[in-house]
Amino acid sequence: MIDFMGKKKIYFTISIVIIAISLIYSFIFGVKLDIQFKGGAMINYSYSGDINTDDVEGVVEKATGEDVSVQKTQGNINKLIVSLPKSLSIDSQKKMTDEIAKAFPSNNIVLLDSSNVNASMGKEFFAKCMVAIALASLLIIIYVGFRFRKIGGISAGAMGVIALFHDAFMVFAAFTFFQFPINDNFIAVVLTILGFSINDTIVIYDRIRENEKIYGNKKELAEIVNLSINQSLTRSINTSGCGLLVMIVTCIVAYINGVTSILTFALPMIIGMISGVYSTICIAGPLWVVWKNYRAKKLSQKTGGSKPSSSIGKIKI
Amino acid sequence: MKKSSKATFFVVFALIVFLAVTSFFGISTTYGDTKTVYVKGANDIRWGIDIRGGVDVTFTPPAGFDATDAQMLAAESVIKQRLVTQNITDYEVYTDTTKDRIVVRFPWKDEAASKNPEKAIKELGDTALLTFREGNNQDSSGKPTGVTKDNIVIEGKDVKAASAVTNTQTSEPEVQLELTSEGAKKFGEATTRLIGQPISIWMDDTMISDPVVKSAITGGIASISGSTAKPFTTQEATDLANKINGGALPFKLVTENYSSIAATLGVAAKDSMLLALLIAYILVCVFMICYYKVPGLIASIALLGQFAGFIIAVSGYLPFIPSFTLTLPGIAGIILSIGMGVDANVITSERVKEELRAGKTIEGAIDLGYERGFTAIFDGNVTVIIVAIILMGSFGPSSSFWAKLLTPFMFMFGAATTGAIYSFGYTLLIGVIFNFLMGVTASRLMLRSISKFKGLRKPWMYGGAK
Repeated sequence: MIDFMGKKKIYFTISIVIIAISLIYSFIFGVKLDIQFKGGAMINYSYSGDINTDDVEGVVEKATGEDVSVQKTQGNINKLIVSLPKSLSIDSQKKMTDEIAKAFPSNNIVLLDSSNVNASMGKEFFAKCMVAIALASLLIIIYVGFRFRKIGGISAGAMGVIALFHDAFMVFAAFTFFQFPINDNFIAVVLTILGFSINDTIVIYDRIRENEKIYGNKKELAEIVNLSINQSLTRSINTSGCGLLVMIVTCIVAYINGVTSILTFALPMIIGMISGVYSTICIAGPLWVVWKNYRAKKLSQKTGGSKPSSSIGKIKI
Repeated sequence: MKKSSKATFFVVFALIVFLAVTSFFGISTTYGDTKTVYVKGANDIRWGIDIRGGVDVTFTPPAGFDATDAQMLAAESVIKQRLVTQNITDYEVYTDTTKDRIVVRFPWKDEAASKNPEKAIKELGDTALLTFREGNNQDSSGKPTGVTKDNIVIEGKDVKAASAVTNTQTSEPEVQLELTSEGAKKFGEATTRLIGQPISIWMDDTMISDPVVKSAITGGIASISGSTAKPFTTQEATDLANKINGGALPFKLVTENYSSIAATLGVAAKDSMLLALLIAYILVCVFMICYYKVPGLIASIALLGQFAGFIIAVSGYLPFIPSFTLTLPGIAGIILSIGMGVDANVITSERVKEELRAGKTIEGAIDLGYERGFTAIFDGNVTVIIVAIILMGSFGPSSSFWAKLLTPFMFMFGAATTGAIYSFGYTLLIGVIFNFLMGVTASRLMLRSISKFKGLRKPWMYGGAK
């Protein structure tokens, strides 16, 4: 049996450090919002041979009169990525394409894909997505509240929700760390992780309830929680392991074949899943014990009674 | 619980294999060159434009123009008509009348079209050219020819409004035309001259109707009805009225919101994702069989059933379930569901193992395992259902059931301008449903039955001690 309760301080520290680092990271490097949300244009061309991005920038700036940035990536298909802060009208996009093709006739410029988003529609879509996340969180919290009434009451539910936010934050951290723009994939991954992660927690709290009935007065709470986590461990690891396995396969295949839209989906999903198992085992349970003991201590101080007979740190299992 | 017999395993297994084979290959007969599809298979799946390549565009009236609901519907019918004229039947058009938006998604007609997405988008949004022409002479490509080409009776600007009404005498649906005073004059002159002959109605270069003039119409109110042999249905009358109104729209649709994807990229992406799906499935099966033995084998069969379930849910296998556009995130949703779908089997197999080690018989352990594991499985699925519904409601077309369900929360927002995630929500939801059907019900039936076989009655095969 692994003593999860004894190492709780290490776990809390790890989580806090990761959260702090990713917050600092996102302040320094900024959070990239996809043009889906902030509006703008991104047009990809394929090209052959060699091309100078500064030259392309000059041509595009002349054609559109906009401030533009051009990048190139090389791979199966060499890509020229043109980003503009504003969406282009159909005529200006056509003009731009024609001008680039004319200026670089030997590079075989072909339009691959383009995406133009009106700024106000982008903002509205962003607001809609935020409402979607809020609504999903609310419904999940209501469900958790309903479920935990039987298991460990409001406090257990609250700890489960803290673990959830922990996981959602890790998904966010993954997006900022890999410099993936925040887009509809982000929303989908966050919501999916919210949905999956709470299950593990529910399963463990369910087990705690079962064990409380069996060992109620014979064992300390910390001991019961630790036992329950250990009993559910194989299941948590196997289920998440299968989930991880398939997402890692997806991620590798997407990476090899350059399917960016799936890579930016699968990689954060992997981080979220790992965080999900971790937060369930190492955060949600131990945190609840800390809270329960804190309450018990406070209560006994209030009533002037003796100190609680044990504090969880000392327990040996 | 009724005692299951040895045969149950074979019945359930055969059913799953049957579903898998028919959903994958479909049922069709080929007689000469005509292929009749009775049941749609995996080949009939409609792929999203992120896979096939195509255009996703949101049209609006010009800034500052507040279009009426009727005008938006008229504009929609113009777009649909143009798509059909170009032989693109596999389009999606959603109109949001509160936000005055028309979202159109369509795949490329051919290689040439994908080279010029700007032209394709522009053609759709242009003001429709509506004409009423003398006669109904068409050349081989359907364009007007002869007198029909030369003699234009009236144009879109001569029409005030068209509406679908019910004729008070015949009770048949018909289209009522209200003309401007100048239009009435021209129409009166032409109908007097052309009694007994057809006047054809054209949108751009496509003939949409060719009614025969019964009598001279000079009052500026004309009605178009179907022939006596084949009267209009209400739908046909409404469509025609919308199209005529579309030609009389006082505005041109504009867009600042469009994306296009070349046809070559997506197909490779799809193929690689399907490969990922196959590898993921094999790995999960190998893991489950190695780790859980007999229950693992059952889980692998159940997963095959889940696969079939996905294909059934998107291909239009069952006539009452409409086909569904599958995008790249949709495939990712299937892969994810394969991984998470074994959860039900993992939970019960773990429980069965525990009960066996506690000294229960195989039958007892299996029954208890399913009983005790059920709450955990149920909980897990409820939260995923919540998430799937929210995803479908916020990313789907505004007319969908899920969007309507979320209207109290989402009323201030228009339809999503990107559609790929909708498909992910759908596959997630389907995953949950088939997880219940296959991972719980079918697995339980098969496991109980297979445990009756002589060679398979050893507890270690179910995770018990050797």
